[in-house]
Amino acid sequence: MTSQNWKAVLGDQIPEERGREIETFAGQVELRRQNKVDEKVFAETRLRWGIYGQRYDNGQRFDGTKTQTITYPSGDLTKGPNTYWDAPGMLRIKIPFGGVTPRQMEVLAEVADEYSDGILHVTTRQDFQLHFVHIDDTPDLMRRLAAVGITTQEACGNTVRNITACPLAGVCHDEAFDITPYSKAMAYFLLGHGDTQDFGRKFKTAFSGCEQHACALVNMHDFGLLARTKEVDGEIKRGFAVFVGGGLGTIPHQAKLLDSFVTEEEILPIAQSIARVFARLGEKKNRNRARIKFLVEQVGIEEFRRLVFEERAQLPHDDRWTEYLNDVPDYHETPAKQPFSLNGQARPEGFEGWYKTNIYQQRQDGYVVVYINLPLGDLTSAQMFRLADLAHKYAGDNVRTTVEQNMVLRWVSEADLPEIYTELKTIGLADAGINTIVDITSCPGTDTCKLGIASSRGLAGELREQLAAKIDTLPEAVKELKIKVSGCFNSCGQHHVADIGFFGNSRRSGNYLVPHFQLVLGGKWKQNAGSYGLAIGAVPSKRVPEVLEAVTNRFANERISGESFQDWVTRLGKKEVKAMLEPFTQVPAHEVDASFYTDWGDTREYSLGDIGVGECAGEVVSLFSMEIAKAESNHFDGLIALDEGKFAKADESGYRAMLLAARALVRTRFLALSDDPNKIVEEFRKQFYDTKLFFDPYAGGKFAHYLFDRHENPPAQPDADSARRLLEEAQLFIEACYSCEARVNGSIIGS
Amino acid sequence: MIPFRTQVKFLLDIDNAADIDLADFVGVFQRWIQQNALDELLIDVADYKHVFEGPGIVLIGHFSDYSIESREGRVGLLYTRKRQVESDLQSQLRTALRLALKAAELLQTETDFDPRLKFRADAFEIRFADRLQLPNRPESFDGINDDLQIVLSELYGGNAVQFAPRATDPRNLLTIDVQGEGVAAITDLLRHFQALVES
Repeated sequence: MTSQNWKAVLGDQIPEERGREIETFAGQVELRRQNKVDEKVFAETRLRWGIYGQRYDNGQRFDGTKTQTITYPSGDLTKGPNTYWDAPGMLRIKIPFGGVTPRQMEVLAEVADEYSDGILHVTTRQDFQLHFVHIDDTPDLMRRLAAVGITTQEACGNTVRNITACPLAGVCHDEAFDITPYSKAMAYFLLGHGDTQDFGRKFKTAFSGCEQHACALVNMHDFGLLARTKEVDGEIKRGFAVFVGGGLGTIPHQAKLLDSFVTEEEILPIAQSIARVFARLGEKKNRNRARIKFLVEQVGIEEFRRLVFEERAQLPHDDRWTEYLNDVPDYHETPAKQPFSLNGQARPEGFEGWYKTNIYQQRQDGYVVVYINLPLGDLTSAQMFRLADLAHKYAGDNVRTTVEQNMVLRWVSEADLPEIYTELKTIGLADAGINTIVDITSCPGTDTCKLGIASSRGLAGELREQLAAKIDTLPEAVKELKIKVSGCFNSCGQHHVADIGFFGNSRRSGNYLVPHFQLVLGGKWKQNAGSYGLAIGAVPSKRVPEVLEAVTNRFANERISGESFQDWVTRLGKKEVKAMLEPFTQVPAHEVDASFYTDWGDTREYSLGDIGVGECAGEVVSLFSMEIAKAESNHFDGLIALDEGKFAKADESGYRAMLLAARALVRTRFLALSDDPNKIVEEFRKQFYDTKLFFDPYAGGKFAHYLFDRHENPPAQPDADSARRLLEEAQLFIEACYSCEARVNGSIIGS
Repeated sequence: MIPFRTQVKFLLDIDNAADIDLADFVGVFQRWIQQNALDELLIDVADYKHVFEGPGIVLIGHFSDYSIESREGRVGLLYTRKRQVESDLQSQLRTALRLALKAAELLQTETDFDPRLKFRADAFEIRFADRLQLPNRPESFDGINDDLQIVLSELYGGNAVQFAPRATDPRNLLTIDVQGEGVAAITDLLRHFQALVES
């Protein structure tokens, strides 16, 4: 048997430019292995190739009793600062507009089998991710993907990330027109473009065909394009409303309208102009303020607009701006079969429920879109192979991923549905419940993410299982709710745009840490992420199912006919919602119920250390706990004031909450601190900021600046936006104080 | 030729896959990491119990992964040799078999499971996650037949052993079904095999 390698075998199947770039990357891998490339440079390089670090890649892991050192075989060799070479990593695979072919699905399944753990994970940006991948294997993995037209290039790092689009584009009843060819052209125009290589942070783009649905979430993107038509000189022209500066992250921002109608000929040059302005003027040093939303906020949308169009006027012409438009009129997808309606065929058991939730009637008569409900966005390589077969047989190769971590088969003849359902059932992919409360979105959380604070996937899995068991008995209004879970404040699980969102945090209980989730209510998924929810309060992770039941039961019982969940939350008021949560906030002592001190799906003790419990064997309530509770109370007062339209009071309460939290922290070291804001800020800065004790391992001093900025620059006249933002910041500052206290003052079991 | 990844799967001796609660394996694998129970570099535990016929619970290591896999409804311990440390196919196979059997034996002693787990010694499967060198084609099997014969004969101590490639979709991994005689329990299989390897 002769020795072979993928490079030689696939050589002529890989597009020349992609092949050259992969070989360059492979060379950099080798150079880094020989320590001839700086680790920071290599880290940014691999990120730009979609290769992320994973939890424990710093060689440390808490095993439930102590922190163990993981001694990787390659010794001190790193693939980035504090990131060991041999540590398993994540590979993100870009799928522009979520479109994949059966052949691509087969190769994705192959690489999951051979380089990962056999699982493909669909992300909230319509990418696929593989976990537990070794850096040495990535060049071959990329070659195999490139041979079928898939790239990982610029899937991570400070780049243009995967361009998302509505999975119903082209078949939707409400769209202005099919945005598929435009999103594809944008993706490949910006990929590796010289004007997108010098960003201070990532840049996320989305296309939507209509305003009223959520499919692409244009309002929460750095750059969003919403399809519109307009009559110009008696002719209907295609174009887009263009939005900039939206985003979730720690503090969500609604995107601002840059231009209500950019013609189809202009969208690529406008994108290029925005990229140039962002690269030139965007923050580069402080990554916490480097997203384009901060630049838009800083200069104002009018000035930003002026800068973009000024840049546009200076751009040298590029034929690619309009070349693709020649093919747009001919763009179409070919079904596998003629359309026939579902008539009198025998319907298998379970079919009706699945049909009700998982089927979308296309605007083309007789054709439907079939949603594949993926639990936590996961499927096995074996499932992927079979799904590729079904796509080929029934859907004419037309498959897409969705931002809710599912997949769709398009252009399916309705008459084939009973057969498809039966085939999906044999591979465990016939779960009903798309767009219902069981269809929960979650980021990776503590399973694999280095930033995860609590187990979002563990919680989402538990909720899904519990809800699926009783879905048939739930009231319709509850069934329709959306739940989204993030493992930390960074919102990768998109908790801000769910009816009921959760993000992970932790609280001290005696000498232990307890995983918690902050409840976020009232976000709006519809209207392209029309509004964001607000954090109400933190509850122990293990009590979240009870909280969910209490909230949904009350909603079902007290809802006025036709009232949305958002309206009900508003009508109920935050005081009442908070009161509803109160019984669930208590954590039993470790000796009484140790299960609260572990996270979902993880048997390890959540907190670290080895100092045992207090002498009285009861709860030790520290001064810090008492004082920071006052900060939370002030923050909550601010939320009430915001609801009442008292923006100045909301702003003042948020500011006061931060001061009290800072004071609580300072007083763990320096009791004689007055209530004077200047003194609090001065001491906090001296003792916790200048010493970097307050610094989050990943976010650095970001949260401290929320306090400093508000202290030094109080708004002359707070409005709804600024008050809301300050309250979001205050919430995060309080969380950071909790974390800092636990980290710095110790006395935590297992820390 | 050294396969990129060699996998060995020992099946649980059960009538019904539903009798196995995958969640029970999380605690056991976490404890194995704590106690370094397998004498090799173990890193983390991944939970895929929500996935149909998937890898279930995976104990992630550097050289090896151990998962309670239920592909095609057959629940068992799947061992994956992830890095090409050995010098040839035979030695990689021996390592994979030895480590898989060791983990299976350890699982049989775990008191977290009631009733205790039991693995079958009369049948198991070998897979090669290497579509470059060993695609799922008859000629691939022909090329490794002799190596398999030698190692599997060692494993069953000269007793009769039969093996054949599973006739499946050519896209799948090359999978060999093994059936042996004369060894009733994997504990005996492991001891016999270790003795042969050490001698």
